[in-house]
Amino acid sequence: MNPEADLLPGTLDLLILKAVSLGSLHGYGVLLRIEQISRGALQIEQGALYPALFRLVRQGYLKASWGTSDNNRRAKYYELTASGRQRLRQEEASWNRRVAAMNWALGTEGVQS
Amino acid sequence: MKLLAYLRALISALRHRREEDNDLDEEFRAHIERHAKDLERSGVPRAEAERLARIAFGGYARLKEECREERGGFWFENLWKDVRFGLRMLHKNPGFTAVAVVTLALGIGANAAIFSVLRGVLLRPLANQDEDRLLYLRQSATGNDDAGFSVPEIKDIGAKLKTIKELGTISQLDFTVVGLGQPREISAGVADGNYFHVMGLKPVVGRLLNPGDDGPNAAGAVVLTYRFWTSALHSDPSVIGKSVRLGSFEGARSATIVGVVEPSIPYPVETQIIANIVTSPHHLSATMVEGRVHRMTEVFARLAPGAELESARGELNTVYAGMLTAHPEVYSPNDHFQLTVTRMHDQINSRANTILWVLFAASGLLFVIACSNVANLFLARTVRREPELALRSALGATTAVLRRSLLAEALVLCGTGLLAGVLIAAPMVTVLSRYAARFSARAVGLTLDSSLLWIGVALASIAAVFLAFVPRLPSADTSKGFGISSSGVRVAGGSRRRQRIFAVTQITASFLLLAGASALLRTLLVLQRTQPPFEIAHVLAVNLPVMTDGRTPEQVSEFYQEVQRRVATLPGVEHVSASFTTPWRDAHSLGLNFSFAIQGAQRENALDDPRARFRPISSGFFETMGVPILEGRDFDERDRKSAERVVIISQSVAGQLFPGQDPVNRELRWTDPVMKFIGTSVEPRRIIGVVPDLDDQDLIPSAAMTIYQPSELEGWYGQRLFVRAKNDPYALIPAINHEIHEIAADQPVEHANSLEDIRAEVMTPDRLNAVVFGGFASLALLISIVGVAGVLAFSVSGRTREFGIRLALGASPRNVLADVLLEGLVIAVIGVTTGVVAGVFSVRAIARYTADFQMPGALPLIASAALILAAGLIASALPAARAARVDVVQALRSE
Repeated sequence: MNPEADLLPGTLDLLILKAVSLGSLHGYGVLLRIEQISRGALQIEQGALYPALFRLVRQGYLKASWGTSDNNRRAKYYELTASGRQRLRQEEASWNRRVAAMNWALGTEGVQS
Repeated sequence: MKLLAYLRALISALRHRREEDNDLDEEFRAHIERHAKDLERSGVPRAEAERLARIAFGGYARLKEECREERGGFWFENLWKDVRFGLRMLHKNPGFTAVAVVTLALGIGANAAIFSVLRGVLLRPLANQDEDRLLYLRQSATGNDDAGFSVPEIKDIGAKLKTIKELGTISQLDFTVVGLGQPREISAGVADGNYFHVMGLKPVVGRLLNPGDDGPNAAGAVVLTYRFWTSALHSDPSVIGKSVRLGSFEGARSATIVGVVEPSIPYPVETQIIANIVTSPHHLSATMVEGRVHRMTEVFARLAPGAELESARGELNTVYAGMLTAHPEVYSPNDHFQLTVTRMHDQINSRANTILWVLFAASGLLFVIACSNVANLFLARTVRREPELALRSALGATTAVLRRSLLAEALVLCGTGLLAGVLIAAPMVTVLSRYAARFSARAVGLTLDSSLLWIGVALASIAAVFLAFVPRLPSADTSKGFGISSSGVRVAGGSRRRQRIFAVTQITASFLLLAGASALLRTLLVLQRTQPPFEIAHVLAVNLPVMTDGRTPEQVSEFYQEVQRRVATLPGVEHVSASFTTPWRDAHSLGLNFSFAIQGAQRENALDDPRARFRPISSGFFETMGVPILEGRDFDERDRKSAERVVIISQSVAGQLFPGQDPVNRELRWTDPVMKFIGTSVEPRRIIGVVPDLDDQDLIPSAAMTIYQPSELEGWYGQRLFVRAKNDPYALIPAINHEIHEIAADQPVEHANSLEDIRAEVMTPDRLNAVVFGGFASLALLISIVGVAGVLAFSVSGRTREFGIRLALGASPRNVLADVLLEGLVIAVIGVTTGVVAGVFSVRAIARYTADFQMPGALPLIASAALILAAGLIASALPAARAARVDVVQALRSE
């Protein structure tokens, strides 16, 4: 089977919030962080990241600012705002509930690692 | 200033946008570069790494677009960009732009203008305080829908009402006023002391009438209307306190001008001054105070606090019914006496209501036509732009983005249309308010306000949104048929169907307008073709108001005799005579009709006697009017001197009451109970002559029972002079003036007009109706012709290849021509059919609400249908000719 799973719709925002919650990142960094925390199991179309980032900024969950990167270039960094953090908690909770419900429904509860 | 600040903000925003765009580029590039570097580090060659990074990133332009959208607030910035793009596109197609803008301007302008008038005349509240609690009472009976009230009736009705706080009364009277410039006849109201309080009006200068001005011992007091004060007296404040003489038919009285009332609508008759009751001797006479049938007063009422219109209506009708049963000798059941209570506001609007709403509907139709037309053009152009739109769609423009760019273009069109529309609306409001003034006093002096602009903006926005959402957009799924192939226009079936629907809509709406206009035109033509039953072209009518001040009745009578004698000697004068009323013009006195009975007739009930029009005239009247005397003789000197009372009757009186007999020398007498109040004897009168029916009231003459009696007797003076001229009657005016002022220097000589012009004046509303609706209909027809022609031209250009093949296979150009003509004709026929169906339904729907609305006759309908079909043919002729001339080789090669 293909080890890379397609992204469920609506989960990209959650992943971005999670990635950024561990420290401010530029766009490429967010991508790497997601790959890292999902242990490479989730692949994202790279460009699709940016509309999502812009959306989260507009909604006020992320804050964008220009700074200097490790190689001394101008780079745009994203960090979580207070409401972003709250949103992340909500999303995580609702995700867990959904997963639990799905597991129950499919009878996989307890079987899985 | 505000606008400037706004523009500055907009510009800075746009500049800022450019920076953000650069940032976006930088961010994307940085991302790709980092990825490439990572790949390079893992051993991919530099060039290959960059390529892979680019691929992994995805559609650069599309993502940029998506980010821009996500950024928010961008929509309007982009719209601005699209607007500029739209401006460029429109600039490149001046023909399309001009037609669309003119069409929209007409649609928007006409609607905005009519709505302004509608708002000003019908919807705006009256100046009267708490106008929605002000009521108007009307008494009507069979044959008289505005009978007025008598003083005893008002006493009966007004006593002890719970739902009504107060009643105010006013009666119309003409005063000959001496002391305000030239002596002249002024239309006046005689009001009680409550009147102004009930009406809720305030003074601008001085004071108004109050209960202290009531009663026979009060001093004469006059209030000027605002219009009279400003126009006739140039707002001169020093007229307050001035003393004037007010002459009415029972003598003159002195009165002091006490104030000027605020601008308000004079209703039900135009009055220029309002005086207290003591100024009219007639109002204090027993005749007026005790005569139950002496009705000449209008009644207004104010609702008591907390009372509603319905409860007031109920209470008044109960009281009124009680009054009817208490006086059976006056209120015959056959006459169907009835009391109606309406809000003053609704009453004033009643006449203008139907006309203005119909006009509004007409302009609404025009708007529909205009929008359909522009939608058609727009659709045609969008189809032509399909390759461009498809390309943009493939490059990542979403449907919303394409829609926005269409909206921007539509906004540019409609905005320009709006500007032009407002420009034409301003003069239209002037014309329309002059037109509406014929039906409502409220339209007088109507001014433009900002509402015009807001309505225009609203209409333009509706049109823009409509236009933007009409065309179909290329969907992302290219299999659905939008190729990027630039080989030419392929008309999509959906667009073509829509275009046809719009064309049919236009034809339907034009047909409805045209049918309405031709019905009105027919009414006018019938009126104009109708010959009045007497000579009108060479007869001049002049008003000589009665001047009773300081003269005995004999002297007044002698004055009118002398005027006739002297004017008769003037060169160019054929005949001179006098009458109490001028045909068509003197609505008030033309309405005089009384019941009578012939001697020896079997009468069941005095209340059911026949009625005849009452006309006091001088000798020679029939000669002046060019009417023969059928039997007997005219009045002459004998009749004025002798004690015997004589009358002349019209043919229909003779025919109905003396069938098969000779009426001459038989006798009749007035039996109307009102006679004793107006000083006219009820003694028998001998019939000395019979004349043809001479309808001086209606434009379409009908058999009018009329009884003539000699003027200058019993107080009926010949105050209207009729002069029949050999040539131009107007040339005689200076000489007539001169003669009259030789006899009495202060005698007013007013309103000299030929009977022809007076008749034309009465027809003006009909003419205006026909002109206004005809104008609408011709505009609509013109727009529709352009619209249908546009659809066909477009369809022809889309079918060039088809025609080319057909011609190549041997079809004759005539076949192709006929094909296109038929297409146009089919659109027109469907449009007319829909129009007839829609018309029948809407007439039925309207007829449910108002009675005075009828289906136009068959002739106007057929004429309009023929006109529409002809228009359809004309519209298709040009495209058809083009189709027939298709160059076969060109057409086939173009694919």
